[in-house]
Amino acid sequence: MTATLAALEHWSGGLWPYLVVILFGFLPSEIWRWASVFLVRGLSEDAEILVWVRAVATALLAGVVAKLLLVPSGALAVVPVFWRWGALGAGILAFFIFRKSMLAGVIIGEAVLIGAALLAAG
Amino acid sequence: MPDDSSPSLKSPRQAALAGMKAAAGLPSFMLMASLIGVGGLCRDVGYPMGAAVASTLLVWAGPAQMVLFGSIAAGVALPLIAVAICVSSIRFVPMCMSILPLMREPAVPASDGQPARKGTPTWLMLILAHFVAVTAWVEGMRRLPGMPKPERIPYFLAFASTVMLAAAFSTGAGYYLIAKLPPALAAGLLFTSPIYFTVALAAGARQSVDWLALVLGFGAAPLVALIVPAGFDLMVGGIGMGSLAYAIHRLQQGRRRRAEGA
Repeated sequence: MTATLAALEHWSGGLWPYLVVILFGFLPSEIWRWASVFLVRGLSEDAEILVWVRAVATALLAGVVAKLLLVPSGALAVVPVFWRWGALGAGILAFFIFRKSMLAGVIIGEAVLIGAALLAAG
Repeated sequence: MPDDSSPSLKSPRQAALAGMKAAAGLPSFMLMASLIGVGGLCRDVGYPMGAAVASTLLVWAGPAQMVLFGSIAAGVALPLIAVAICVSSIRFVPMCMSILPLMREPAVPASDGQPARKGTPTWLMLILAHFVAVTAWVEGMRRLPGMPKPERIPYFLAFASTVMLAAAFSTGAGYYLIAKLPPALAAGLLFTSPIYFTVALAAGARQSVDWLALVLGFGAAPLVALIVPAGFDLMVGGIGMGSLAYAIHRLQQGRRRRAEGA
């Protein structure tokens, strides 16, 4: 495997980075998108099973958000945990106060977080 | 040519323009903010700027792109990186499966003097599927159901390709800029994904089952992360909490139906 990859890297020369993106980034993620096209064949948009599928997708994305805040990467990790959740809470609150305005939610949430990051940095 | 469409139906071009307009604001801004860091990661491993841009156009999933370049930088073997990306990308299945039926036109056999109509071709479905990622999913799930069916594909394609181009531009710019960013601003950029996804999910929640899935998925994540091995926790939490939300929804429905019947 390693030898094959080394040969491929040598052979592809300057195009190696693009080959890496295609073989090890694009293909492993794209197969799921393509598989889904065949999985939904014959399903109408109001099929009952899709209510469940959508609930799974929603719960999954909510989990992604929670994970991004629980195990933050890079610069976000510098912001204390209380303020990461506080900024999210402030954003949700602003979203509802400003009659479900996504813009208000994002701006207020960001403002709280960047403010906290500035304070944390001293 | 028979025209059974309502007069308010937009032409494909008008629907596409509406999609571009919807993309131009918050969705593009948020994607630009979250992908700017990928450019910097790509530069750190010594790859050309084009590889960063290509990753946005092809992989089209910020977290997977970060795993790709971040792991290369950490010296992880390429096949292992592919496995990690493959596992984390399973989340595209419920996303694609719920949004694609909203756009596909079913094939209609000829009847009552009406000619047979071909359904949406598979090649077009594959292209539509490629554009599915969190942003296009949350926005599409929110906006498409209220639209006449013929408008949905041009709208979605225009929306998704606009945000993709904006994100690709930002990835390329990030390749040169990211090292110079003050830390507080870098934290703010990393925070755009969680805050945007949260309010977009809340804005898209219509029925009680959406809210249940949202709250349960969010609340259970810390617990699931403790029990389930990393890499699989999101999928397990998603299926578990999504199914729980659906079960509660069905119970409520049944109770309501019984109350109406009595």
